[in-house]
Amino acid sequence: MSIMDHNGGSVIAMVGKDCVAIASDLRLGDRALSISSNFQRIFPITDRIYVGLPGLGTDVATLRERFRFRVNMYTIKEEREIEPETFAHLVSSTLYEHRFGPYFIEPVMAGMSKTPSGGYKPFIAATDLIGCLNFAKDFVVAGTASSKLYGVAEGLWEPDLEPEDLFETISQTLLNAADRDAFSGWGAIVHIITKDKIITRTLKGRMD
Amino acid sequence: MPGMVSMTQPIQQSFNPYTENGGTILAIAGADFTVIAGDTRQSEGYSIQTRYAPKVFRLTDKAVLAVNGFAADGNMFVKKVRQRLEWYRHAHAKDMPIRAIARLIQTMLYARRFFPYYVYNILGGIEEDGTGAVYSFDPVGSYEREACRAAGAAQSLVQPFLDNQIYFKNQTPAAGTAFPKHLPLSTVLPLVIDSFTSATERHIEVGDGLEIYVVLARNSTALAGLQSLRGVQEVTGTNDGERVFVIRRDLKKD
Amino acid sequence: MDHFPTNWGRPRHEGFDAYGTFPIHQRPTNGPKDAFKEGIERTQQPIVTGTSVLAIKYKDGIMMAADNLASYGSLARFKDISRLHAVGNNTIIGAGGDMSDFQYIQTILDDITTEEFTAQDGHSLGPAEIHEYLSQVMYARRTKMNPLWNALLVGGVKDGKKFLAYVDLLGTTYSASTLATGFGGHLAIPLLREAVEGREDTLTEEEALRIIENSMRVLFYRDARSLNKYQVAIVTEAGVKISESLKVETSWSFAEGIRGYGAQTQ
Repeated sequence: MSIMDHNGGSVIAMVGKDCVAIASDLRLGDRALSISSNFQRIFPITDRIYVGLPGLGTDVATLRERFRFRVNMYTIKEEREIEPETFAHLVSSTLYEHRFGPYFIEPVMAGMSKTPSGGYKPFIAATDLIGCLNFAKDFVVAGTASSKLYGVAEGLWEPDLEPEDLFETISQTLLNAADRDAFSGWGAIVHIITKDKIITRTLKGRMD
Repeated sequence: MPGMVSMTQPIQQSFNPYTENGGTILAIAGADFTVIAGDTRQSEGYSIQTRYAPKVFRLTDKAVLAVNGFAADGNMFVKKVRQRLEWYRHAHAKDMPIRAIARLIQTMLYARRFFPYYVYNILGGIEEDGTGAVYSFDPVGSYEREACRAAGAAQSLVQPFLDNQIYFKNQTPAAGTAFPKHLPLSTVLPLVIDSFTSATERHIEVGDGLEIYVVLARNSTALAGLQSLRGVQEVTGTNDGERVFVIRRDLKKD
Repeated sequence: MDHFPTNWGRPRHEGFDAYGTFPIHQRPTNGPKDAFKEGIERTQQPIVTGTSVLAIKYKDGIMMAADNLASYGSLARFKDISRLHAVGNNTIIGAGGDMSDFQYIQTILDDITTEEFTAQDGHSLGPAEIHEYLSQVMYARRTKMNPLWNALLVGGVKDGKKFLAYVDLLGTTYSASTLATGFGGHLAIPLLREAVEGREDTLTEEEALRIIENSMRVLFYRDARSLNKYQVAIVTEAGVKISESLKVETSWSFAEGIRGYGAQTQ
């Protein structure tokens, strides 16, 4: 049993048409024992960037604070908001600094990035626990239900989904994957990010 | 030094009689038909041994067996099941019904409880009452009848997708309507093909080819849509009324 | 003689057990024991080993190749052994793995060929039958935890049908138009598949020979347990032919230009 599975939990992010979505289950466990059904592991970084931190619970808290600190330092020095691409590299280098004694977290990021023409385009990325970046064009997954998430997402996802359709797709993917994973579940939270608003919904899930 | 082989004492390396040969199988039961499918890749580690090694076998005109895990055990197991079915045919002048085959498979697997056949079996076909049936087994014989089941290397990828699309898990029907209890063949076949293309995309041990067996009950309504399909071939052996078809498709070879 | 009457069992009585169905209980056996049971030797690791065997399908039949080396660990111990063996007029087998186990397999195959010949029933064993027989032997031995430590290729032509299949110490079997055992599975298979797949019915003997020769050369360059001396077997409708030993033509001139691995003056 890996440390990565100690507390359980999974995160998924998907790209839609002019929107992105990121979702996670709400379980926190101690191996097979469920402790909490309201454990938040997705955090806002800016108004347009969210990060999900599946993995070891204690590192969720630590990394959240580290990212907050580093993003604040960036904002102060640069006098501008960080872009999703930049944040992804910040995450990557933060993790790689601990290459030989890593945080047991595999972050998933979702955001809308500014284009030179002044518009916004969807951005998602994920890394492994030592910061190897994966910029996917469709969806990224991580956590104890990752293999299940891959299977369902590969079957359900399609390009250019409108926000409400993307919400349905990511919710169904997460819920059905989590139901086949002993370490994920107990409800879920979904964030849909568009250029001008964020829709957050908490989902009921199976409690077994 | 941990992890290093000591040079001072001889290494004890005992013979391992098992290996894993990858691949995935899947079966879905309809009201009057059953679909049993498997990919045709056989691998060991990172090597593809062959791009065509069938994992799905027609036992009778009402029963098809899919076998996944250790290929040598799988082939031997199918051989022995077929031998028992032939004896049954000689003794009773008819094919063994599928629920009896299921129990037979349980006893054959459990007979090897302490040196198991390292295989996951899915048995699909038509019950005596004409309904579609799927029986799934673990390597030592635990079994149950279900409407759908995936097994093998990509089980974890495919099964939750099937939960969602076959059992309508986490979905609610529109007001005043209900989900169908059984799906038509025209819905099931694309789901099977999608499941395998998805599994091929994300799992290295799945790919090369896809063999889908379709078993139809007597006078099944699914017959009409089936015969016009690309790459369909009838493999029925008797005139009992049940009919067996196989559909072959390519999957990505990378 | 067993002196314990409780172990003698109950005599049957025709009066109530006419057909001898009375349950016979499991009692300890006091018969002669195998005093050497603990000392039975089993192949738990190969000793004198052969490396890759390659085989492909081509226009006229099957071509198979194996080098002439039998290694003892890293020692090139026997440099003139043949790892190809003809069975009857239609079949060739090639072996990697333990050579003593292979020689045992050769004897049992010769035995069944003789037996089949003496039957004089108008039937002969073709490659498919030999492969089926071998796979049953290999699987039975693995199940007894006493494997024949080999990976075998079986090829041949009979009744106009080409046959090529693999079987190993676990009883694993498969068939394809290009096969290789051992290191060949990693180094030669990609080359063979590229050259052969889709051309099984058009490749000439010369082309097939070139493909095999090139693969044997690649293996000799990179497989440390290989030899630059090998044999090629050809099975066609006309029968089995195993060649004399052939030499792998190699060129090492490129090595002159390599800098940076050893002591060089410049």
